[in-house]
Amino acid sequence: MEPATRLDNNHELTLKDFPYIVRWRDDRCKRCGRCTAVCPMFAIEPAVIVQRVLRSEGSLPEPKAVRRVVTIIKQSTDIGKYCTGCATCSLVCPNDAIEPEYNPRHKFIFHKNKGGHPYRRGGRRNSPGLSTLDRLRFTRISMLTDPALDAGRHEFRIRTYLGRVLPAEELPLKVADGKLELDRKSGKFIPPVREIYPVMIGSMSIGALSPNMWEGLAMGVTYLNEVEGMPVVMCSGEGGMPRRLLKSRFIKYFIPQIASGYFGWDEIVRAIPEMIEDPCAIEIKYGQGAKPGDGGLLMAHKVLKLIAEIRGVPMGVDLPSPPTHQTKYSIEEAVAKMIQSMYMAWGFRVPVYPKISGSRTAKAVLNNLVRNPYAAALSIDGDDGGTGAAYNVSMDSMGHPIASNLRECYLDLVAQGKQNELPLIAAGGAGKRGNLAANAAALFMLGASAVSIGKYIMQAAAGCFGDEYNRCNVCNLGRCPRGITTQDPRLYRRLDPDVVAERVVEVFKSLDVELKKIFAPMGRSTELPIGMSDGISADDPAIAERLKISYVC
Amino acid sequence: MKKVKKVTIKGTVKGKRVPSRLLEEEIQEAVEKGARHLHIIANGQHGIGGRIWPRGETIKITVEGPVGQRLGSMGMPGTEILIKGSVSDDVGWINCGAKITVLGDVTNGAHNAAAQGRLYVQGGGGARCDTMTKHNPKHDPPESWYFRDVGDTFAEFKAGGVAVVCGVNPRNPENILGYRPCVGMVSGVIYFRGPIKGYSEADVRLLELSDQDWQWLTANMKPYLKAIDRSEFYEELTRSMDDWKKLVPYTAQERAKRRPFKMSIREFRTGIWEKGVGEGGIFAEYLTHPLTVLPYITTGADRRFRPVWNNMKYAPPCEYGCPSEIPTQKRARFIREGKLKEALELVLQYSPLPATVCGEICPNLCMESCTRTRLDKPVNIKELGRASIDLKAPEPRPDTGRKIAVIGGGPGGLSAAWHLRLEGHSVDLYEAEKKLGGKLEYCIPRGRLPQEILSRELKRIAEIGINIHTGVKVDRKKFNDIYRSHDAVVVACGAHKPRKLDVPGVRDMVSAYDFLRDINTGRLPDLKDKKVVIIGAGNVGMDVAAQAFHCGAKEVTAVDVQKPAAFGKELEIAESLGTKILWPRFTEKYVRKERRIYFTDGTSLEADLAVVAIGDMPSTDFLPPAVHTHKNGWIQADEAGFTSDAKIFAVGDVTSLGLVTHAIGQGKKAAKAVHAQLSGRSYYMPAPRPVVPYEKIKTAYYDLRKKGPFRPEAEAERCLSCAVCRDCHMCEAICYYGAISRNAFEDGSYEYVVDDESCIGCGFCAGICPCGIWEMVENI
Repeated sequence: MEPATRLDNNHELTLKDFPYIVRWRDDRCKRCGRCTAVCPMFAIEPAVIVQRVLRSEGSLPEPKAVRRVVTIIKQSTDIGKYCTGCATCSLVCPNDAIEPEYNPRHKFIFHKNKGGHPYRRGGRRNSPGLSTLDRLRFTRISMLTDPALDAGRHEFRIRTYLGRVLPAEELPLKVADGKLELDRKSGKFIPPVREIYPVMIGSMSIGALSPNMWEGLAMGVTYLNEVEGMPVVMCSGEGGMPRRLLKSRFIKYFIPQIASGYFGWDEIVRAIPEMIEDPCAIEIKYGQGAKPGDGGLLMAHKVLKLIAEIRGVPMGVDLPSPPTHQTKYSIEEAVAKMIQSMYMAWGFRVPVYPKISGSRTAKAVLNNLVRNPYAAALSIDGDDGGTGAAYNVSMDSMGHPIASNLRECYLDLVAQGKQNELPLIAAGGAGKRGNLAANAAALFMLGASAVSIGKYIMQAAAGCFGDEYNRCNVCNLGRCPRGITTQDPRLYRRLDPDVVAERVVEVFKSLDVELKKIFAPMGRSTELPIGMSDGISADDPAIAERLKISYVC
Repeated sequence: MKKVKKVTIKGTVKGKRVPSRLLEEEIQEAVEKGARHLHIIANGQHGIGGRIWPRGETIKITVEGPVGQRLGSMGMPGTEILIKGSVSDDVGWINCGAKITVLGDVTNGAHNAAAQGRLYVQGGGGARCDTMTKHNPKHDPPESWYFRDVGDTFAEFKAGGVAVVCGVNPRNPENILGYRPCVGMVSGVIYFRGPIKGYSEADVRLLELSDQDWQWLTANMKPYLKAIDRSEFYEELTRSMDDWKKLVPYTAQERAKRRPFKMSIREFRTGIWEKGVGEGGIFAEYLTHPLTVLPYITTGADRRFRPVWNNMKYAPPCEYGCPSEIPTQKRARFIREGKLKEALELVLQYSPLPATVCGEICPNLCMESCTRTRLDKPVNIKELGRASIDLKAPEPRPDTGRKIAVIGGGPGGLSAAWHLRLEGHSVDLYEAEKKLGGKLEYCIPRGRLPQEILSRELKRIAEIGINIHTGVKVDRKKFNDIYRSHDAVVVACGAHKPRKLDVPGVRDMVSAYDFLRDINTGRLPDLKDKKVVIIGAGNVGMDVAAQAFHCGAKEVTAVDVQKPAAFGKELEIAESLGTKILWPRFTEKYVRKERRIYFTDGTSLEADLAVVAIGDMPSTDFLPPAVHTHKNGWIQADEAGFTSDAKIFAVGDVTSLGLVTHAIGQGKKAAKAVHAQLSGRSYYMPAPRPVVPYEKIKTAYYDLRKKGPFRPEAEAERCLSCAVCRDCHMCEAICYYGAISRNAFEDGSYEYVVDDESCIGCGFCAGICPCGIWEMVENI
């Protein structure tokens, strides 16, 4: 039993050490408790304090002490109950009486390792500054030099190809009756190729995302295809897919992902005979930009009935996805055998491509893929990519930015004359500051055939609070106040899948207009300006030199 | 009638083409000089016939030959141009009022940006005709009439004016308005006759003609057809209003109101999504909850957390800190309820020696733990103990017929005997000494424990009918007799064999136990002007020091090998008398002859008397081997006193050295265990009860109160009632939603309950509860 006499504030942190300081206004608060009922972190709690006022009301000094015990909303100085700045309290406060304020001089990560456990979180690299992509401008404006196009008036074809594109001379063609036709007896593999919208929704698993979020995205993607005629596709992430979707005709808009945990794949394989359409493609995940070289773990408490059924595991067990695939020993063997297996699953009708994290070794992987006729693309996920859970150190310090990584891979393809054959998919930070169209267009012009987005769509479609000032970012705790990254129905039912879907549609429709607003003045309307690097410039000579583009000032 | 001056201007002179600039100058000069009828034989010159400003008169221009682009561009009111043939691009560009009649086709961009005036076309139009036309409200809108059809992207960004496409003998019989007309059209109207293939649906809509439209069209058709020499088509073109349609742009207001979605998401969900994946969506088959959306603020089962009224779930710190588990907060509540007697009597259910122990010799761990310490100073539990001196013995329960032996009449044995007797068992208490009390009687200096208090409490113990056998030494044989003749045996024989100090001269030293016992039994040593060294500076050492001074010692020094363990009153008294404490000192030897004790560090002290106070060990060789002991004889017993022999229990110092209150607490627990065993109930083990965290007790409610003499009522008021509801109604009052209410029962008890359907789980009740009763728990 500890004696009641204690050291008072010894070893206690001050609020100034915390990243967000809750500004609570006594004069506005009616003590309805809505803020404390929703705080995901218990960072604020009702408390009582005593105030003592000394009054002297007569004409002579006549002291009279008045005590007043009042209830307040108090911010915790327990590092485990830090305010994440999510501002759910402000959202629900009827009186605008509470609001977290960012504290730029906080010392949060000095302390957030209690018990010897390093800080883990969700979100992306906490670097709120301009990324390389944000420093690129579209400088080649066509006015009189090229046919000037009008984004509103001209029709655009914003599409890309996912799949290995064979050069004309390698196509098994023959002339029959004076007509060119495919020589099916040639025995040559003709890779499946999909025509898709060049911005796709990247891999976010069922498990990392709540069912309402995932279904909202899936509905939005399907709406875009079915109603708007925009062939936007979405990768499943590693967490399996629901049977109902696998067996529906909408599966063609989805890219099932297989990763090192292989979760849900027996369920998917079992569904193959009943599938009425082929999926768009298969993504093999080898790495993730947010946490290069690190795996994932879906905590047991998140593995409820839904997750267990879809992933094909018992309820309430930890689900580890190791940092590496367990039976791969070399780059040749690893990539070849995975690609081969996945092709076989759908009778070589579905493109299969690997996804790696941005790395200085990306070119080695790329060159391996160039030699593999089955490789359908290479997806590179840069270090500004997001995640549902990772060590802060992995997120903040590990990995390669996408811009130069993509660029050197593309130029490598150019050097081999293969740039139109093996599509590169770029991810990791597109739309980090909200300017998705500009970031995506810049990536196309640096050499990407497609751009994959994750965090951006969570922010834009579901109002994810997370940002690079470490706001919220508690995806890993399953306490997402928006209901995006949680398996707790009380939280995820806050999210209306229909609204998410509607926002996905709005986001892509507006993105489409913005992309046209970029491509039209540059005189491009028919083909995506992949690698059109004379169209972009950097405002920094070093960036320009590294990316082999022009420098403007 | 004034004769109209006619002029012919040629675009080719002497076989050479006249530049557009010179031809323009020529035309302007001719008009300046009065020409009102110009005949121009062109040769591809640009912009013929525009910008002529006849100041209210009419200028007629007839053009023959190949014309250049932008014929009639910037044409002015009063200018009438007739082209005998087809024209090149952009005829009538920014027309400001000229009437242009083309007896042939117009190519791309006809009437582009026309603002007023009229364009009559005998043939058809090229691409992008009628784009950017305007209507200046100061003038009539421009009109464009096409006899056949027009090319692609017709009327883009049309912002006013009328276009008529008659659709006679079109070049493209399937689509007389070309590909995607009307993109960006915001004003004006297009009348057309014949099939089309789409238009910019975002900008315009397709309508039937109104009577007004028809009236205008038929009225203006005649002069048009006459001008282009196609009057014979009048009948056909005005045969039926139904042959015609019009394209009209949406107004700005209509566009603003337009839904951006082709299909609402709800329609999509039911019409497409759920048709494809099944009712309820892709996850419905895995989910058990309703597929509805929840608000952020929820009640009932949808709350994340709910409050629970955990009255007395936790131990108050005083009770938790007290080895005898005396519930002081209960005493305080009785006192607050005016039941002082009950409050004081309650203590006898926990300890037979409240005045002796709580009131005198106990370091009062309860007070050390008291939450009130965080505010001012602890509730004065010591005085509450003292106030229990005059209590009458409680009545034991009816006899059970069970016989229990207790070996040892010290605090542990007394406690065990007391509690067993109160349960109605027959208790034989064996004590080797002449008097009961053990170390209380024999070792604790009388100055610290007035004998009067102890004897009064011992008397009370005797009153409940314990069979006390003093002066009975229990050896192995006696133990066997006792064991056989009793249902259970509680061994509480204490520890008084001094721990051996293995140094030369130890035989000349005195043990603390013997030293203190001699004094308490009246055999006072004469220490006048003597110097005493005590080896071991724990609390026993301090008692020895105090007694040595009382016996006249001049100088007393206590040494220890480590930082002395002495604390509390013992230390306070010894130091106040002048005891010196030295450490670390490792004794090397005691040389009686020299009256000097030597230490390993080379130092030495004068010592007429050397007392060893480094602890005692038990003598347990009378026990049967079935009772496991540790090295040195300590009996292996658990918290409840169980030993390896089911019938034998052990409490107090014989199990390990502790405070008197520890022995009392163990005695009580062992009594419960024996009682449970004899009643045929299961193995007794006190349920662990976590202590209430200090943070849960809201000291803010209470004012500092340090002064004033001891009064039980004042102390009861000072008690914060930790973990025990004080029925203050704060929770009921703070709840914004009125979700908390109090249920009173007939027996006077009560509970606070939560209406789950009103409660949002905000935690205000838990946050402000003075006693830390309300707790927020996960709502599963």
